[in-house]
Amino acid sequence: MEKKVFVVLLLALLLLASCAKKSSQVPSDEVRIGVSQDFDSLDPHHMTAAGTKEIMFNVYEGLVKPDSSGNIVPAVASQVSRSEDGKTYTFTIRDNVKFHNGRAVTAQDVVYSINRRTDGKDSAAKLAALNVIQGVSAQGNSVVIELKEASNEFLAAIMNAYIIPGDHGDLETNPVGTGPYRFVSRSVQDSLVLERFEDYWGTKAGIKKVTFRILENAEALVLGLQSGALDLVAHLSSDQTVQLDSKAFTIEEGSMNLVQALYLNNKAKPFDNVLVRKALCYATDKRKIIELAFDGYGIPLGTSMFPSFGKYYVDELTDYYSYDPQKAKDLLAQAGYPDGIDITITVPGNYTPHVNAATAMTELFRQAGIRATIRLMDWGTWLEEVYSNRNFQCTVTGVTSDNMTARKLLERFGSKTGNNFTNYSNEDYDRILAQALAEPDDAKQTALYRELEKNLTENAANVYIQDMADLVAVRNGLKGLTFYPLYVLDVSALRWEQ
Amino acid sequence: MSLLCVGNSEDKTALKAVLKKLLVLPVTMILVSFLTFAAFEAVSGDPARTMLGTEATEEQVQSLRQELGLDRPFAQRYFRWLGGFFSGDLGISYSYRQPVRDLIGSKLLITLLLSLISFTLITVVSLPLGVISYRWKTTVFNQLFMAFPPFFTGILISWVFGIIFRLFTPGAFPDIYTDTGRALVHLFFGSICLAVPRIAMTVRMLRSTVVSEMNKAYVRTAISRGNDRQGVLKRHVLKNSLVSAVSFLGQTLAELVGAGIVVEQVLGIPGLGRFLVTSILHRDYPVIQAIVVILALWVGLAGVLADLINQAIDPRLRIRQGVVSA
Repeated sequence: MEKKVFVVLLLALLLLASCAKKSSQVPSDEVRIGVSQDFDSLDPHHMTAAGTKEIMFNVYEGLVKPDSSGNIVPAVASQVSRSEDGKTYTFTIRDNVKFHNGRAVTAQDVVYSINRRTDGKDSAAKLAALNVIQGVSAQGNSVVIELKEASNEFLAAIMNAYIIPGDHGDLETNPVGTGPYRFVSRSVQDSLVLERFEDYWGTKAGIKKVTFRILENAEALVLGLQSGALDLVAHLSSDQTVQLDSKAFTIEEGSMNLVQALYLNNKAKPFDNVLVRKALCYATDKRKIIELAFDGYGIPLGTSMFPSFGKYYVDELTDYYSYDPQKAKDLLAQAGYPDGIDITITVPGNYTPHVNAATAMTELFRQAGIRATIRLMDWGTWLEEVYSNRNFQCTVTGVTSDNMTARKLLERFGSKTGNNFTNYSNEDYDRILAQALAEPDDAKQTALYRELEKNLTENAANVYIQDMADLVAVRNGLKGLTFYPLYVLDVSALRWEQ
Repeated sequence: MSLLCVGNSEDKTALKAVLKKLLVLPVTMILVSFLTFAAFEAVSGDPARTMLGTEATEEQVQSLRQELGLDRPFAQRYFRWLGGFFSGDLGISYSYRQPVRDLIGSKLLITLLLSLISFTLITVVSLPLGVISYRWKTTVFNQLFMAFPPFFTGILISWVFGIIFRLFTPGAFPDIYTDTGRALVHLFFGSICLAVPRIAMTVRMLRSTVVSEMNKAYVRTAISRGNDRQGVLKRHVLKNSLVSAVSFLGQTLAELVGAGIVVEQVLGIPGLGRFLVTSILHRDYPVIQAIVVILALWVGLAGVLADLINQAIDPRLRIRQGVVSA
């Protein structure tokens, strides 16, 4: 009886196979992109998730915006001029810039947008990086911004003051910006649809329609690529990419532009002792971790800076501590721990790369007498316990800069900085940081930032691992993928080619 | 005449019992909502901080906490929520800053459809299979199917029917309102993943009930009196076995909504389960509360439904319940 059932089932399958459709044709005016995390708020001044900023980069623009080589180029403003003392910026509004609702952008819209990010009436919209602004005013076709003090980082900071219409409605359900794509629809935890904005002031986007599919499950993303539902997925793991047919997909490799490290709580025992921190650095073989947990993809780092930030990056620091478990043991003994130490690594459990790195580290540490236990936490708890309350020993996470300034990466290690979750406290560091922030000359400032990076490495502030690789699966025929030194996906540069 | 009277009073007590169960439902929902509220009070994780991310200053977090009313005492917050809930206001989602009701609508529909389709599959396949299988021995197949985790079947089914046969497109769930047909096909394959292990369980349960019932004295007597085996099975055994099967299926119906989470994730179905998991990660309290209460309602309703059907099948249950409730 069961045999018969089986035969019937098999026949039914064969029948199905015979009528199976041939591989579906790829539409040439649409690109479908898979993302693993849902977008949060679509209001440009409320969006927090890196994944939302990454995509809404295509919808919103500031007065200036970044290009793929890391330069700041004019966007809604066509011209920027800076006064002699560096305290007054004048932005000329571009003539033909229109909002997605068809209305032309005025200087008043710009003033409104910047005020919304600075006046604190909407607390969630306030951007700390813009605190340097003294006042904003519209003068005819231009906007004048007065600063409290001259700042080299101002232009980078103003990028994130996205320009929205002063008379906007609900931006959550109907986002309106000036970018190359306009918002069409959104279904929470399912999809987001954008369409080319035909009245865009600059080079128009290559592909008419973009559909983002939210699939938080790693298998579902791979299945989506294989089934033809998706044309492009970024931030894949090497495990995911090997499952893809190389005839259908090309894997492009960029970098995530973040500093993945074992961040140490410099106030918690035993990491308040610099010898222990150094021991941890000597016990870490970055390349081995990259090989074990990331199949060899990733750039080893030695300080809080990555290569795509060009002039700020100090390459010599990467191998400052060469892997030497014996030296690690000696240092621990010197610090008063001849029998080694027990440590707890707290990791946000939903970030697999961080969990994998922590696991590989645990294995390597054993050879140096460091017994590590991993404690997984969900993101909400991690933010509260580790990041905010600093109630942890050490944690693996990634730190990034959303406005292309070294300041974003380095200011956080100043002993008085609010978000210094590692509790790093070093007098020299504080002194150089204050100098760097006040320095008007770019070359001198860069030199000071490089000093700071050296300070972090020499004092073993954290155990630096790598800048993770960004593996992107791209369906063959889809061209134009460009990597930025920022966490953004520029959809407007994509196009289909036969 | 007297018989009719008895019947009437029986029906009344039965109705009372069901009404009582229905009345208990809102109480259960309130209790569940309170427990959820309290649970998130106990675990760490601040919604305001999660919303604002790593860049926010302490000041910003504090003022957002105020704005969301998170700085108020627990009881006050809970009763505010409860009041809103009873007036049909489920609150505003923290992460999406949109009314929870607007966000949940289509997801509830999708999860309901997914559960109902797989429930139909389970019932239609396992009832006949369970009854005819009393003559077979339990097999390895049965054991194997029972152990199929939805995660594995999800990938397998996506591969076979999605990628090889292209009967649906994993990773592109069609719009449930505008492309209903294709959405249903997608849901059908999802429901298979949910149904497979449960069919195996139901068949096994039903088979063992039928087997033990067939060994009872009344069956032996009936057969020895010259009734044929099939007839006895149809007339007596089946009815007696169905009661436990219906209770079991009622439980399955209740379980299905929660069990859908994994299938929803693997097959990319935008349902309630996935939404719940993400909302917990983001500490989106209003969304969590709403979904949990909906699930409680669902579980309660499934129980009432199973009771009703059982009372229809077995008159003894009506009297018994009447006595208990009296």
